[in-house]
Amino acid sequence: MIGHLTSIAHAATGVVFIAGLSACTSSSDTSPSRDSGGVAKATGAPVQVAGTRIAAPRTTAAGEWQMPAGDYANSRFSDLAQITPANAANLKASWTFSTGVLRGHEGQPLVVNNTMYLVTPYPNVSYAIDLATAGQPLKWKFRPENAQAATGQACCDVVNRGAAYADGKIFYNLLDGHTVAVDAENGTQLWRTRMADLNLGETMTMAPIVVKGKVLVGSSGGEMGVRGWLAAIDAKTGKEVWRGYNTGSDRDVKVGSRFKAFYPQDNGKDLGLTSWPGETWKQGGGAVWGWLSYDPELNLVYYGTSNPGPWNPSVRKGDNKWSCAIMARDADTGELVWAFQVTPYDMWDYDTVNENILVDLPLGGTTRKALVHFDRNGFAYTIDRATGEVLVAKPFVQMNWSTGVDMKTGRPQVVPEKMTAEGKLVKDICPSLEGGKNQQPAAFSPQTGLFYVPTINLCMDFEVRPVTYIPGTPYIGANAPEKKGPGGHGGEFIAWDATTGRKVWGIEEPFPVWGGALATAGGVVFYGTLDGWFKAVDASSGKALWKFKVGSGVVGNPIAYLGPDGKQYIAVYSGIGGDMGLLIAGDVAANLPYDIRERGSTLPDLARWTSWGGMLFVFSL
Amino acid sequence: MRVSEIAFGAICVMAVVAAAPRARQAASAPNAMTDSIRFVAHPEHIPSGFPSHDRPLALRNPLEGNANARKVGAQLYVSYNCIDCHGADGSGAMGPSLADGRWHFGGTSGELFESIYQGRPDGMPAWGGRIANDQIWSLITYIQSLSQGKNVATENFTGRTVERTGH
Repeated sequence: MIGHLTSIAHAATGVVFIAGLSACTSSSDTSPSRDSGGVAKATGAPVQVAGTRIAAPRTTAAGEWQMPAGDYANSRFSDLAQITPANAANLKASWTFSTGVLRGHEGQPLVVNNTMYLVTPYPNVSYAIDLATAGQPLKWKFRPENAQAATGQACCDVVNRGAAYADGKIFYNLLDGHTVAVDAENGTQLWRTRMADLNLGETMTMAPIVVKGKVLVGSSGGEMGVRGWLAAIDAKTGKEVWRGYNTGSDRDVKVGSRFKAFYPQDNGKDLGLTSWPGETWKQGGGAVWGWLSYDPELNLVYYGTSNPGPWNPSVRKGDNKWSCAIMARDADTGELVWAFQVTPYDMWDYDTVNENILVDLPLGGTTRKALVHFDRNGFAYTIDRATGEVLVAKPFVQMNWSTGVDMKTGRPQVVPEKMTAEGKLVKDICPSLEGGKNQQPAAFSPQTGLFYVPTINLCMDFEVRPVTYIPGTPYIGANAPEKKGPGGHGGEFIAWDATTGRKVWGIEEPFPVWGGALATAGGVVFYGTLDGWFKAVDASSGKALWKFKVGSGVVGNPIAYLGPDGKQYIAVYSGIGGDMGLLIAGDVAANLPYDIRERGSTLPDLARWTSWGGMLFVFSL
Repeated sequence: MRVSEIAFGAICVMAVVAAAPRARQAASAPNAMTDSIRFVAHPEHIPSGFPSHDRPLALRNPLEGNANARKVGAQLYVSYNCIDCHGADGSGAMGPSLADGRWHFGGTSGELFESIYQGRPDGMPAWGGRIANDQIWSLITYIQSLSQGKNVATENFTGRTVERTGH
């Protein structure tokens, strides 16, 4: 039993959602409940909610997918509208491709010039698939040099979250800390630059974006005592142009005269040093392993930073800036323009690396340039992306560690009994360290004005223990066994109104929803589940439209593209893994005779529904 | 439970940690090569992780079955951060399971010693020269106890309550 829970999310909306089991039946009365307020009621009609706009909508050819989230705004919205709630039931598997690698397939393919580009988990092989020829033959495959030692330095499986395309080149990161550029035509490696230090526990798993000729990358390693950064590489030469650290002096963090945080506590000299005891900032984490966004009008790059290191909070008393923060940097110079620390002095492993979705939203009678962020800590933030001011902050999942965000300071109000410290065992903290949401990105549709968010319903006990920093080994200092949260479901796929901070509908899932979302102009939203279902639901109502059981659990993100035959296709990886699939699921692997895992207590039945895989599935009408 | 009670004893580990050579200091001590020659005649010719079947296999664990060594090993398992790679009960996390009785590089005492001493190419650090040899033997005594009596060959799902799926 889990005690002391406050079902804030449910209480706030006043709506009850019991869609989980029944959503797969076709009768309309079992559709997810729907809030009446604030949202366009039209189903599938290509109208835009007034005052709503995707910032930086894609400028590339319709039906292509050139960057990780489809556009700089991270909307994961496709203009394609052939698949609608009326015909989605006719979707069928069109073709598939085995990547040859059996690890967590987070991330997504790209589609450019009738060619699909894939990057596998370690060893990070990339493929170019010819979509214009029957049978989808390869144009090339590229097998980079990639140190095997990296597989033992990556905390949470050997995932890769995808590549970015620009100017005839494919850019992506290797687990061992290199960034590579590959000729999109012939697969030739153009450059390979060492960006991260494997010996210090730095690996690279995130997907870059390319902004004005610069490739932007960051590193993983918040569990290894790294010091996080974001760097820009010249796309032509592979030379590093700038690097901004997330901890340390103002000079290293690139805090200068332009810096102005919205909240007083986020302004001051050398906060990246003074908010840490001694030299703990050197192993303070703040890694950049999530998603990047870019607003061309403000010329700002947005990203979130990871948890502080180690998890043991007693050895790093202070706000620990800039861990668990949203950062806005000038895309040309790397200067920090504003920052907002979402969870100061994190003591629950609530990284802030989740995507920042850039949209204009109608708020308080005007249109605001907003940034919407669903944090691990369980709050959904609607923030002014020019200033960092928090406009809305509401729980989007069940939580009990905080009673709410203080709108004067932007800081969460922490429940004292849920504070962790050395020598303490704190029971029943919700959400768990996996967060209310993790790396699986949400999508936004300007037609409904709604965000489609894959969420997690887990809680944890948290016991802090002493820890010594030993380079190249984990720097954690806590045990945190997890269990399903109140209600007994592992996750929920929700539609969220970021102007009011309310859940509009939700589909309960038995397991955490660890795959990302795709919204389409046809009014259909897609997502996959850990137990291997790939689903289409109505963007307006959440009504189940179609599902298909793929070969392995889905932890990747669907994309939509227009084939050379003029048809709309939906593509998604199947291949369970990542933190949830590898560490939490336990017994899902069968290819390592020397590594047989028992079923984990958190998701004891998952192994019955899925095993490791590595397949691309492509669907069409 | 994947997370065992080991960590509850972690606080009393501090005494052991204090007595053990400090890992950071020891890391800079340049005796790793000279030490390793005791086990590998020409280490410069052996790539990290290459199984050298002749020599180390003969090594016997002087602390085999020693209950106190097992206890010390369990404490070292936490203080040297083994726990965060291999899991709180050795059932695997970033690194492979040590509790399944299956071994990538061999499960004899000598092979386990080699794995810990010189590291393995998939990310296992080399601890030789960084920690004392008797500590390695204590760790091995503990690690070998984790899989005792376990049979992981069959996972039978029938006859059990089936939890919901997304269907």
